[in-house]
Amino acid sequence: MLALRLARGSHPLVLLRRLLVAAASAGVGFLLLCTLGWAMNHPAGSVLRLLWCVLPLAATVQFAVAAARTDPSTRPRPGLSAVGLGPAQLTALAAASTTLSCTLGSVVALLFFLHLRGDLTGLPFDGAASDLLGAGQPLPLAAALTLLAVVPVLAFLATGFALRPRKSRLVDDADPERPATPKPAPSGLPWGVALTAAGLAVETYASRGGSEAPLPLPGRFEGSPAGVLAGWSLTALGLALAGPGIAHLCGRLLQMLRPGATRLLAGRVLMDEAARIGRPLGVVCAVVSGGFAAAALYGPGDPRPFGPLTGLGATLIVGCTVATLLTAVLEARHARTETTAALVRVGAPTGLLRTAAALRAGALLAVFGPLTWLIAALAAVPLTG
Amino acid sequence: MVAPPDNDVLWARSLHHSHNGSPALSGVSLGVREGEILAVSGARGSGKTTLLRCLSGQLVPKEGEVWFNSTAVHTMPPMQRERLRRDRFGWIDSDPVLVPELNTWENAALPMLLRGSSRRAAKAAAMEWLERLDIGMCARKRPHALLQSQRQRVAIARALVSTPSVLFADEPTAPLYAADRSQVLRTLTTAARSHRITVVLATLDDEVATLADRTVVLVDGRRVGALRPAEAEGQAACSLSV
Repeated sequence: MLALRLARGSHPLVLLRRLLVAAASAGVGFLLLCTLGWAMNHPAGSVLRLLWCVLPLAATVQFAVAAARTDPSTRPRPGLSAVGLGPAQLTALAAASTTLSCTLGSVVALLFFLHLRGDLTGLPFDGAASDLLGAGQPLPLAAALTLLAVVPVLAFLATGFALRPRKSRLVDDADPERPATPKPAPSGLPWGVALTAAGLAVETYASRGGSEAPLPLPGRFEGSPAGVLAGWSLTALGLALAGPGIAHLCGRLLQMLRPGATRLLAGRVLMDEAARIGRPLGVVCAVVSGGFAAAALYGPGDPRPFGPLTGLGATLIVGCTVATLLTAVLEARHARTETTAALVRVGAPTGLLRTAAALRAGALLAVFGPLTWLIAALAAVPLTG
Repeated sequence: MVAPPDNDVLWARSLHHSHNGSPALSGVSLGVREGEILAVSGARGSGKTTLLRCLSGQLVPKEGEVWFNSTAVHTMPPMQRERLRRDRFGWIDSDPVLVPELNTWENAALPMLLRGSSRRAAKAAAMEWLERLDIGMCARKRPHALLQSQRQRVAIARALVSTPSVLFADEPTAPLYAADRSQVLRTLTTAARSHRITVVLATLDDEVATLADRTVVLVDGRRVGALRPAEAEGQAACSLSV
């Protein structure tokens, strides 16, 4: 109840984030239910469809955790620890409100699914997709509920794990006068580069393999899709691991060679924010290059065209990863509020602070843009060649 | 608008301000002479910080006037006030809020870098002030590695490095132990006197009264004690009932 009461009084932007989490959860729930509907008519081969739902599911859970992390009502409040809103209670609160949003989304997905199936009548588009969704057969209740519970339960667990009261967090909160110890430079860059390279190599190697494949890919693809997908996952993992390191490197380059105030602030802040922003940025990079590769795969005259459910899944993945990135940027900005206020008191022009922020964004774009394009081009070579 | 007396570098006339309805200042007038150290004392919540923020152009008072060297601060557009703060004023917070990503000398040199002076000149000036405040050996450390008193001294160096016309210090000794407190105050006042910097010092500390030229006492957003005739003219509204 406290989670509900706090949600009522929160800022519209916070509510919008929660609504987006609910929408993403509804999308994933709908995808899962559609898989169930399809499986009722085609018992064989539906595991594969279920597996493809894992990607949007992962993106949604990532977004839910990022939204919970930025939520102002879950931030430690020094004064409220005394009335019982301590770190553990706040974690429980964050997990509860995330679960609430996801459950809301799942309920909407169920209603929408039943409506399109033709079980709920009285609205437009009644039973518009009844053939696709296995109408005419009774819906297995336990299966539907299990599938719908997947997103809320996973989001609950992930939020609780990500926001668990840790010792370092507690120490920082206990001493508000002491500036937070800077995080060490991210160390994942070598691993990330190695994994990306290995993934691309595996993909290229697998694309020459036999044509009788366990995981058919759309398009005119002749290789071994399982190997290609494994290579792809490795590449994406590598990019996510390398993201913080690359962002840190951008910041280091930005503040090199006798910087003035703008470059100094932009570079150092980027170096400090690299850990927070780099990972979602790497994930976005992987998703975008994957999108390019998929576009190369879906040629014209494709026997298995780009359907509405594929579109929904792709929208969910892209939307959730971009929203996670924006949320991380927002979180980084919130963390710097006090320093920014102090800079303004010293007389730093707001124009300079904006220029520094633009410089950071520009540097990241200048590095990650070509990188994304390069990975996409390399990944698409074996698929189209 | 009447132009202020010539010998006052900073001049305020019947300032009224409230934060979302809760009153902070009700009719404060004061003048600050050039090169003087003026202490503003009063209990917590008596409006010291609001007064300093109004005088330094961070806040525009709801009513009343603020003049700096015969220019009206209360009518300036925000950009111009920002430039005034950067070029002529210095500010010390009660908590030393340093930029955590920059090391000590870069923090101290920040105002000069913001004014567009060269990195070499900014570093030389910052190092000189850090040496004078006995923290030259920490010049390459980040703020998190310093003691609270050292951080406060870095904040003071940052405020002094550009030799401002007026230095505003909002309870600069609040988070410090007594020994650190008197040292910080003494270095601050000595530096101000040797460079003819005007200082407006908000404080809870009685020791400050011995170091300052004059003390202004605020109680519940009003100034108590004797007024100079030039300052009394704006206060006709609040006379007999108080």
